[in-house]
Amino acid sequence: MRSLALQNEILFAILALVAIVSSIVMISAHRPIDSALSFIVTLISVAALFALVNATFLFVVQIIIYAGAILSLILFIIMFLNIKDENLPDEKHKNRWLFAISIIIAPFSAILIDLIMRSDIAVHGVVREGFGTIKDVGLTLFSKWVLPFELVSILLLVALVGAVTLSKRSE
Amino acid sequence: MSDNLLLTLFLLSPFLSAALIFLINLLFKNAKQSVYTFLALSGSGISAILALYISYHSYFEKQIFSSHLFTWLNIGDFTIEVALKADALSSFMILFVAPVSFLIHIYATGYMNRDASYGRFFAYFNLFIFFMFLLVLADNPIIMFIGWEGVGLTSYALIGFYFGDIQNTYAGNKAFIVNRVGDFGFLSALMLLFLSIPSGGFGFSNIFLNLAEIEPFTLSLIAFLLFVGAMGKSAQIPLFVWLPDAMAGPTPVSALIHAATMVTAGVYMVARFAPLYNMAPEVSLFIAYIGGISALFAALIATKQYDIKKILAYSTMSQLGFMFMALGVGAYSTALFHMFTHAFFKGLLFMAAGAIIVAFHHKQDIRDLRGIKFPKIFVMMAVASLTITAIPPFSAFFSKDAIMGALYASGHIELFAMAFISSLLTAFYMSRMMFVLFFSKSEQAAKESPKSMFYPMMLLTLLSVFAGLLNMPELFGGNLNFSHWLNLADKFYTIPHAKEWALMSVNTFFIALVIYNTYKKYAYTNEIIVEKNYGWVTNKFYIDEFYNKTVVVLLHKFSIFFDKKISNFLIDEKINLTALAYLKLGKIVSIAENGNVRFYALYMLIGVVSGFVYLYLLLGSVL
Amino acid sequence: MLKSYMILSILLFSIGVVGLISRRNIIVIYMSIELLLNAVNLSLIAISADLADSSAQVISLVIIAIAASEAALFMSLFVVLFRNRASLDANLFDMLGNKNER
Repeated sequence: MRSLALQNEILFAILALVAIVSSIVMISAHRPIDSALSFIVTLISVAALFALVNATFLFVVQIIIYAGAILSLILFIIMFLNIKDENLPDEKHKNRWLFAISIIIAPFSAILIDLIMRSDIAVHGVVREGFGTIKDVGLTLFSKWVLPFELVSILLLVALVGAVTLSKRSE
Repeated sequence: MSDNLLLTLFLLSPFLSAALIFLINLLFKNAKQSVYTFLALSGSGISAILALYISYHSYFEKQIFSSHLFTWLNIGDFTIEVALKADALSSFMILFVAPVSFLIHIYATGYMNRDASYGRFFAYFNLFIFFMFLLVLADNPIIMFIGWEGVGLTSYALIGFYFGDIQNTYAGNKAFIVNRVGDFGFLSALMLLFLSIPSGGFGFSNIFLNLAEIEPFTLSLIAFLLFVGAMGKSAQIPLFVWLPDAMAGPTPVSALIHAATMVTAGVYMVARFAPLYNMAPEVSLFIAYIGGISALFAALIATKQYDIKKILAYSTMSQLGFMFMALGVGAYSTALFHMFTHAFFKGLLFMAAGAIIVAFHHKQDIRDLRGIKFPKIFVMMAVASLTITAIPPFSAFFSKDAIMGALYASGHIELFAMAFISSLLTAFYMSRMMFVLFFSKSEQAAKESPKSMFYPMMLLTLLSVFAGLLNMPELFGGNLNFSHWLNLADKFYTIPHAKEWALMSVNTFFIALVIYNTYKKYAYTNEIIVEKNYGWVTNKFYIDEFYNKTVVVLLHKFSIFFDKKISNFLIDEKINLTALAYLKLGKIVSIAENGNVRFYALYMLIGVVSGFVYLYLLLGSVL
Repeated sequence: MLKSYMILSILLFSIGVVGLISRRNIIVIYMSIELLLNAVNLSLIAISADLADSSAQVISLVIIAIAASEAALFMSLFVVLFRNRASLDANLFDMLGNKNER
C-alpha cells in the first residue's frame, strides 16, 4: 500500500510539472501553432491527473473532447486561415506584460495556497467499487442532474446557431 | 361700503386698468385707441371719485379708513402687515393726487393722440398711480418703500418713454441711478429702525410709540438717512441732477410725476415721520438749510434757462426747497399746503407748456417761441405764473406767505432771507418766460389745443386760483382748516398781525417791482437773444460736470477694477481653472477606458487582488 | 493529495489569467480561457475523489460541454476577425471604448 501511494505521488509530481511547464510555454509562445501543441500536452497531463484519482470516465472525455475535438479544431482553424507571421499581432512588450501580470497575480496565488495549506479539507472518503466509471457518472447525471444536462444541450444548440450566424458572410 | 373694499378698490382700479392695457397692448397689435382711453380714464376716474369720497369723510367726520389685507412676514414676534390706512394725512394726499392724476390723464389723451405707443403710455401711467397710492396709503414703512420704489420705476420707464432716442434712455438711467443713492439712505434708515424698534410690529403708530426708547444718536441718524431718501426723490441738493434731465419724457409725465405728485413724495415722507423729526431738531434744521440752498440755487439756475420745460423743472425744485424749509422749521401743515397748491399750479404750467409744445411742432426753446399768439393758453399760463410768484389773491400767495411767516417767526433769519431772495428770483424767471413767450414784436399763431387738453387745464386754473381759500390764515378771517384737519405735530408760530401784514406787503411789493423791471427788460425787446448765455449760471454751476468728473469717473474706475481684477481674474479665472482641471483629469482617466477588454480584465484583476490582500490582512488573525 | 491537487489547480489558474491578460493573440487568449476551465475541472475532480461523490464529476462534464460550445463560437470569431482585418490582434476589438469620439 505504501509503495502505491509513493508511486502515485511521484506520478503526480511528474504530471504536475509537465502540466505547468507546458502551460507556461503555451502562454508565452509567439506562434499560435506552438501554443496549441504545448496546450495538448497540458490537456493530456491533466487527463492523466484525472485518471490518477480514479475518474476514469472524465479521463476519457477529457482526452476525446479536449485533446481530440477542441484542439484539433484549433489546429484546423490555424491551418485553414493560413496564418503567416505578418498576420500575427506585433507583441513587442509581450515578456514585460507577462512579467508584470505575474507580479500582480502572485499575491492572489500566494494567499490561496497559504489558505489551502492551513485548512484541513482532506476528508479521505472511502472509495467504493466502480467509482468514476461510466455507469456511476451516468447514474448521477440522469438522476440528480437532469435539468443542467438539458440546459447544456440547449446551450450547445445556441452556440451552434451563433457560430453559423457570426461566420456567415454579410451580403 | 366697508373700509377694506373701499381702499382695495381704490388701489386696484388703476392697477387693473394698467394690467388690462398691458395685456391688450401685448395681444392685439391693432387695438383701437378708444379702448385704451376708456380703460385708462375709468381706472383713474374711479380712484379719483373714491379719493374725493374718502377725503370728504376724513375732513368732515374725522373718519380713519384702515384695511388689513394680509400678513406678509411673520418672524418671531415681528410681523410685517400689508395694511392700508387712510388717516388725515393720507386722505389729504390722495385728495389732490387722484383728481390731478385724473385731469392729467384726460389731458394726456389729447397730448398723446395718435401716438404709436399710446397703450404703453397709459399702462405706465396707471401703474404709476397705483404705486403712488400704495406709497401714500401704506401703514408701515416697508409697504411705503414698495410704493416708493414703484413710482421710481415707472418714472424711469416714462422718462425713457421714447427710447428710440438714446439720450432719453440716458436721462431715464440718470434718474434711476441718482434715486438709488437716495433709496440707499431710505433703506438704511429702515434697517436701523428695524434694529431699534423693540417689538410689536412695524406700523407707523407703533414706531412713533417707541421713539422714546431709541437713543438720540441713532434717532438722528435714522432721521438723516430718511431725508437722504427724500433728497433723491424730491430733487434736493445734492441729488437734484436727475430732475432737469427727466424732462426728456412726454409733457404729461413731467406734469404729473415730475411736478405734481412723485417729487412731493419726499415732502410727504418727512411729514409722515414728523414725530421723529420733532425729536431730532438738528436734522430738521439741516433739512431746512438743504431746502433753502436748493430753492435759491434752482431759482438762480432757472433765470438763465431757455428750454421752457427746464425752466419749469428748476422752478419745481425751487418750490420743493420752499416746502423743505417749512418742514425743517416744523411747520409741517404749511409745507403740505404749499405742496397742495403747487400740484395745481405746477401741473397747470406744465400742461400749458405742453400745449404750446404741441401747437408749435415740438419747439421748446423760448427764443424760438417768441411772440406766440395763443390767447386761451396765455390766460391760463398767466394765472399760473402769477400764482407761483405768490401774487394775491391766488392760492400760492397764501401757502407761500405762510411759509415765509413761519420762517420769519422761527427766528432763523438766514432761512427767511434765502426764501425771500428765491421768491424774488421766482418772480423774475417766471415773468421773463411769460414776457418772452407772449410779448414780442414778431407774432406766431397756431391752431387751438384739442378740447381734451383744454378742459382739464381750465379746471386746474380754477383750482390754482381758489385752492388757497381752503387754508385761509386767521388774518383774512380763515381758521387754518387744513392744518386742523391734518393735526400733525406742528410747531405753530404766531406773530403779531401787524408784522404779518408788513411782511406780506413788503414781499408783494418787491415781487411787483421785480415783475415790472422784467417787463421793461424783456417785453418787446431782443434782450433774450442778446443776453450772454455762458458762464456759471447758464451752465448750472457745472454741477453735472463736477459729478461726472468726481463721482462717475471714480465709480467707473472702481467698477473696471472690480470687473477686470476681482471678477475676471480672481473669480472667473479660478472657476474656469477648476473646470479645466476636471476636463484634463477626465481626459487622463479616459485613457484607461480604451475599449480593450483585456485592459478591463486587468482592472478587474487588480481589484480582485487588492480585495484579496485586504481581506487576508484584515482576517489574518482569525484564520 | 487533495491539497496538492488544489495547489496545482491554483497555479494553472494563475498561469491562465496571466496569459489571458498579457497576450494580444486571440488564439492564445482562447486557450488561456480553456486553461482556466481545466484548472477548475482539476480541483472539482480532486474534491469528488476525496469526498467519493460523483456529482462533482458531472459538474466537470457540464463545464466541458460549455467549453465545447465556447470553442464553436471562438472559431467563428477567429474566422470573422481574420477575414475582415487579416489579423489575430485582440486590440482590434475596441469599439467598447470612446476612441471613435475622440
